[in-house]
Amino acid sequence: MHLVMISCTPRAVKASNTAKILEKFREGYESVGNTTETYYLAERKSWEQIRVAYYENEQVLFALPLFVECIPGIMMEFLESLDYERLAQMQKKHVAFLVQGGFAEASQLRCCEKYLNMLPAYLNAEHMGTLIKGDMFSVSIMEGDARKKMIAPFVQMGKLYAEEGHFDKEKVSEFAKPEYFSKRIILLSGLFSPLRKLVMQGMAKKLGCKGSLMAKPYQRYVN
Amino acid sequence: MRYLILSTLAKEDEEVQGVLKELKEQGVQISYINTNEKQISGCIGCNTCWLRTPGVCAINDDYEQILIRMLQADRVILITETKLGFISYKMKNVVDRILPLATMNLRFKDGQMRHYPRYKKKLEMALVYKGQADNVFLTEWMERVCINLSFTSLGAFDMERKGDLYHALGYDQLHAESC
Repeated sequence: MHLVMISCTPRAVKASNTAKILEKFREGYESVGNTTETYYLAERKSWEQIRVAYYENEQVLFALPLFVECIPGIMMEFLESLDYERLAQMQKKHVAFLVQGGFAEASQLRCCEKYLNMLPAYLNAEHMGTLIKGDMFSVSIMEGDARKKMIAPFVQMGKLYAEEGHFDKEKVSEFAKPEYFSKRIILLSGLFSPLRKLVMQGMAKKLGCKGSLMAKPYQRYVN
Repeated sequence: MRYLILSTLAKEDEEVQGVLKELKEQGVQISYINTNEKQISGCIGCNTCWLRTPGVCAINDDYEQILIRMLQADRVILITETKLGFISYKMKNVVDRILPLATMNLRFKDGQMRHYPRYKKKLEMALVYKGQADNVFLTEWMERVCINLSFTSLGAFDMERKGDLYHALGYDQLHAESC
């Protein structure tokens, strides 16, 4: 099988969490004798090439970060640019999605998942499932083994997708856990909140932040 | 009551003009922005507005005016066309750029992790769309958007049923006239 993978994040490839995750997924998918080609919407000059790859291939995976509860604007823009008359005349494609988000709970990605359940019908495509995973905010901030550990599980999911031809609902649900955090963890998190804020402020300082993360630069306009 | 009305539809769209006129007749203050006349890029996901220059977007375009007017408003009405069962990319770009209003710090609220809002600001938001869409989904999406920003969603409304919008806004006379 040959899979076209389209990374639908606007973030530059080098700094992209989605691209790093997709790379692991590719490893797994190809480990059982399959082939892939990967495209990045962030590279706008290649959009025509991506459209051609989309029209000419049967198997497509869209990988995306959660952007304000749904797909990013750049992905919507790309999808709007497809030729729907042409797609209507073509054989139905097999389309799957991989969504990663910053919030750790799978429940935070469910609204986007609902849209992705509807989207293939608009694309004249068959939906092969959606893989979701939260807690991916720091993939690009982490380095070395910490990053490897975070994204290594996507190798297995790529392999599974290759073997089964779709994302199995039960396996995907297991992979996406936790759906919610337990009351105990929520309570503990509250206790550690000041420490977490300090860690976050420290991280920001390393990135060149000179003020508070809670700064209010437009406060004078607030009514 | 101060309204910010953001539309991605053509400037001369009669239905948008109708909404503006009818709301003005209610004596409210309206700030209207047609996004086609503005330079608004999509969010590039750089996290600068959270981590490097908190509250300030790295992209230097016309979006800053929108952010400021949101902070000045009591209610924001987003008007757009639907595409593929969702809002158009033009409006999604507008919504994606709202992140400077949230901060990087997180807390649990109602059992889920949320961003701390950057400003103490009460804002109500509604979505009005033209075209086909699943209203239940768009209503849920709007609700989720607002929860994460500590705003209140007034709902998602098909332009063809704008009476429902007026009802949600509390203008029952307009609601009656539109039904």
